[in-house]
Amino acid sequence: MLDTVSASGTDRTALLVDRLTKTYADGTHALDGLELRIPAGSFFGLLGPNGAGKTTLIGSVAGLVRAPSGRIFVFGRDAVSDARARLLTGLAPQEVHLDRFLTARDVLAYHGRYFGMRRREAEGRADELLEVFDLTGKARTKPNRLSGGMRRRLLIARALVHRPRLAMLDEPTAGVDLELRHELWRYLRLLHGEEGLTVLLTTHYIEEAEALCEQVAFIRAGRVVDEGAPAELVERHGGERLEDAYLAAMRS
Amino acid sequence: MTSVDVGLAQRRGTVALAGRETRRVLSLWTQTLLPAVLTALLFLAVFGGALGGRIGEIEGLSYVDFILPGLLVVTAATQAFANTSTSIFQAKSEGYIEDVLTSPLRSWQLAVAYMAGGLVRGLAASLMVALLAVPFAGGLERPAVAIVSLVLTGLLFSALGVITGIWAESFDQHSFVAGVVIAPLALLGGVFYSARTLDEPWSTLTRLDPLYYLVDATRAGFTGFHESPTPVSLIVALGVALAAFAAATLLFARGWRLKP
Repeated sequence: MLDTVSASGTDRTALLVDRLTKTYADGTHALDGLELRIPAGSFFGLLGPNGAGKTTLIGSVAGLVRAPSGRIFVFGRDAVSDARARLLTGLAPQEVHLDRFLTARDVLAYHGRYFGMRRREAEGRADELLEVFDLTGKARTKPNRLSGGMRRRLLIARALVHRPRLAMLDEPTAGVDLELRHELWRYLRLLHGEEGLTVLLTTHYIEEAEALCEQVAFIRAGRVVDEGAPAELVERHGGERLEDAYLAAMRS
Repeated sequence: MTSVDVGLAQRRGTVALAGRETRRVLSLWTQTLLPAVLTALLFLAVFGGALGGRIGEIEGLSYVDFILPGLLVVTAATQAFANTSTSIFQAKSEGYIEDVLTSPLRSWQLAVAYMAGGLVRGLAASLMVALLAVPFAGGLERPAVAIVSLVLTGLLFSALGVITGIWAESFDQHSFVAGVVIAPLALLGGVFYSARTLDEPWSTLTRLDPLYYLVDATRAGFTGFHESPTPVSLIVALGVALAAFAAATLLFARGWRLKP
């Protein structure tokens, strides 16, 4: 069990997950006593196969999954009962779902307002992020008229409008081509570096975690099986690359 | 955002979502307002104009004067219901409801914001029908009663729409409620007839329909004629609307059919 009392009240821990268990109505055990601590300011990767519990974990933090048992703290705020935790968290889900009645700029501005920003502040922030993500020329375009890559960028931008301190990106490069993947990596590095965000990234791609993440956790069957810096994991499990460590951890 | 008071953030978010819903109604006016107005006008033309002369007076009122308040209530009810149920169903089935579900809004604030769009659509459509009917109908005896009654109609059916939007998992389910629940409520609500002239069981069935009280109170507001005491009608309608709002809030709070 993690020391929730000492860790949850500090700014040094962005996300603290304590004995999180989630069983869906169909009996699927998605999370099985998962424990995790993500230091503030880190770029943290969550690696695991399909069905390991990555999306359920992120959904539990963001409020998209009915309250599991266990506890979750975002910068010391209880993610289930304290609405302030929502203000601190930004989510870019795996599937791209954007409000089709709004333009790209309005998607961002309304998101900011849902999270308590004033209209002018939200619109200013929307313009800023459209520029960062090279979408200014598409500000008045509705999401269904954007390319797949643009929609993906808009989704990530949406997660950042309200200036969260923890950004959770659920497989942001799943199903995208190599060129766009590298483009998204550039955006993510930029945001992490310039805005001082804590980033939680889930991915299937080992090379993505190697390229971006300072800390990595391997997750399997709803539990974290190991975690550490990529070099530490390689050293601990043997092999030459993170991929070798990942495969060894998954087999153990 | 950490320095923002969470209560203030929630209030702003509620206003923003209500604004988004209202904007949707107004930007899609050819789909959200025009058909309802045309339907109500056809009812007025056929029953009030073409057949009204043959039907004569009901309870001392011309048939147009008798049915107009009921048509306004039905218009407000069906449009408020259609707006919230469709908007939530679309947001849910297309997945973008996650944007508001991850926001700091409380469950009752989500319900209120969605209901605001339904209320605006219901009242806007009713107002348009009322304005177009002015040349054919009588005056407004007690405007405040009529307005309160129409607002209660909008609130009640907006809340029912929220419940339906959350419940429906397919477009067929969504249509089922509109056809099997809302349409009978409208037809049995005493829009086209006086409940006290009916035989049993129709008279009792009519009085079990919450829409009957809203129609009766609105009719009292427009014409002065009513079958039930107007305060009782308004209290019944308020009670049902509050119950529906509470149910809608509860569904959001539990995440029923919204969250796995």
